[in-house]
Amino acid sequence: MQTRRMANVYRQYWRINILTTLEYRENFLIWFLFTFIYHGTAIASLWIVLERFPSMNGWNFRDMFFLYALWMVAHALHNTFFSTVGEIPDHIRDGEFDRLLVRPLDTLFQAIATPGQVFPDELVLALITFVAATLYSGVHVDAVFIIFVPLIVIGGALIDLGLNLIISTAAFWFVKVDALRWIFIQLEQEFTRYPLSIYSRSVRLLLTFVFPFAFMNYFPASYFLHKHEAALGVPPAAGLLTPVIGIVFVALAYVFWRFGLNRYQGVGH
Amino acid sequence: MAIIEAADLRKVFRRIVRQPGIAGAIGALFSREYEDKVAVDDVSFSLAEGELVGYLGPNGAGKSTTIKMLTGILVPTSGLLRVAGIVPSAHRQANAQNIGVVFGQRSQLYWDLPLRESFELLRSIYDVPRDRYLQNMRHFAEILDLERFLDTPVRQLSLGERMRGDFAAAMLHDPKIVYLDEPTIGLDVVAKEAIRVFIGQINRERGTTVILTTHDLADVERLTPRIILIDEGRVIYDGALERLRTEYGTHRILVVTTVDLPPEDFAVPGAVVEGRENNVVRLGFDRRSLTAEALIRRVLERYAISDVSIIEPDIDTIVRRIYLEGYQKDAVGAPS
Repeated sequence: MQTRRMANVYRQYWRINILTTLEYRENFLIWFLFTFIYHGTAIASLWIVLERFPSMNGWNFRDMFFLYALWMVAHALHNTFFSTVGEIPDHIRDGEFDRLLVRPLDTLFQAIATPGQVFPDELVLALITFVAATLYSGVHVDAVFIIFVPLIVIGGALIDLGLNLIISTAAFWFVKVDALRWIFIQLEQEFTRYPLSIYSRSVRLLLTFVFPFAFMNYFPASYFLHKHEAALGVPPAAGLLTPVIGIVFVALAYVFWRFGLNRYQGVGH
Repeated sequence: MAIIEAADLRKVFRRIVRQPGIAGAIGALFSREYEDKVAVDDVSFSLAEGELVGYLGPNGAGKSTTIKMLTGILVPTSGLLRVAGIVPSAHRQANAQNIGVVFGQRSQLYWDLPLRESFELLRSIYDVPRDRYLQNMRHFAEILDLERFLDTPVRQLSLGERMRGDFAAAMLHDPKIVYLDEPTIGLDVVAKEAIRVFIGQINRERGTTVILTTHDLADVERLTPRIILIDEGRVIYDGALERLRTEYGTHRILVVTTVDLPPEDFAVPGAVVEGRENNVVRLGFDRRSLTAEALIRRVLERYAISDVSIIEPDIDTIVRRIYLEGYQKDAVGAPS
């Protein structure tokens, strides 16, 4: 019953989302252009760096293009389906959050499903980039690749979601969390761009065990590109664990979310 | 049968004590002192199914906090609460299906889309069967006159139209109880009237229980036979509006127009001259010690007059007096 209702609501929300996005066509086009330029610039700057230093710890431009593309798909998947979780702090501040609590559906489900004027444009762009990167990098496309890449991408999106949720939950205490969010967006963008092996041991530990960005692209890419550099002594097949890591990370974030929500309902903010 | 039961409901918030100014704000970054603020203090009341009740109080009295506990948004610090047999904070979603909420200052409609789209969405959120939905839509379109702007984007609606849309939105799933938080705020006279008619009609025809919080006492005078007055988190009066008026609003004014300019020492036993302007004198008196008839007779014995009228205390004055002076039990009798 509840599942059917949630599926209906989800479909309706997406309908509304697409209708509102199209209502503001110019805004949408500007966003699309920005997305295009943003990722284009990132890839171009990788190319420029590797023109001068053809290899970074054994990774050439083709490898790094694949590394970037893998992150890009996971990140775009998150931005398309989960980005509205990032709007929770605004809703807490302006009181709209209470509206979610007087509706007969799970609060987090509503926060995720709420239309946020997103269009799957970034995701489409990311998929095209990924196909290009796969062909260009000469990765061996076998059954393991075809089965695991979608799972790894979903796992990566869940890692993003977990982080997004943890930051938004912090708003139950701090109300405004813009600074925190900005720091983590920067961290993620900087540290997923290059192979983990170029960083110091403490950064590697942080990106593997605390905020597991390394599982979004570095470990899986090492596996597919046969880079046996064993950063942190992790075996290459660890790259296939991303879906599990994603689920565990989101589960932990969800526990924190429940804790924050109880506090909100208990002591106000 | 009681549909809402609240017993010794209490809500305590913990707040950071802030010293004023920038120095205080910086100080608060390093050391924090907390204080407990009792927002709702042992509030008890019970509502029968189909009742329409005005929940009144000045700003910060605890009205919104009470509504938030009734709707399941906040968990009470202590006390018992049952809404249609459910403890709202323990079964928030089940409770949500039973209630409709209108926040006067906030809309639940989608700004950029035709009104109709918001209704369609709410239909899936509350899982309203299609035929029931269409039936309700027809009914609301008729009594709220929605048909004209169902296909207009909400951002282009006037406040009155948007408010009517919000009412229909809150009622689409046939809630047993609706909470209306300042529903007429900012509306013009015509729109206010339309909303009041709608509230009355919903309550009468569908037997929906209505709790109305408002600043506009005209809403209450028009709609609710029963009011609950709350101040500083406590219920200071719970009972018939009429009883409050007859027992607490005892101060009446007789306005007398004299034929000649009234003398300096104009006086009538049992009444107090509260104002005079040209030929018009305002005489205040207490309905418990003097009838209007007796007072008029006393005036006629002493002066030649051409006109009289009586000003009854309005609810606004009564409520303001209670806020200012505090509720006196001996004046009205203990709240039931």
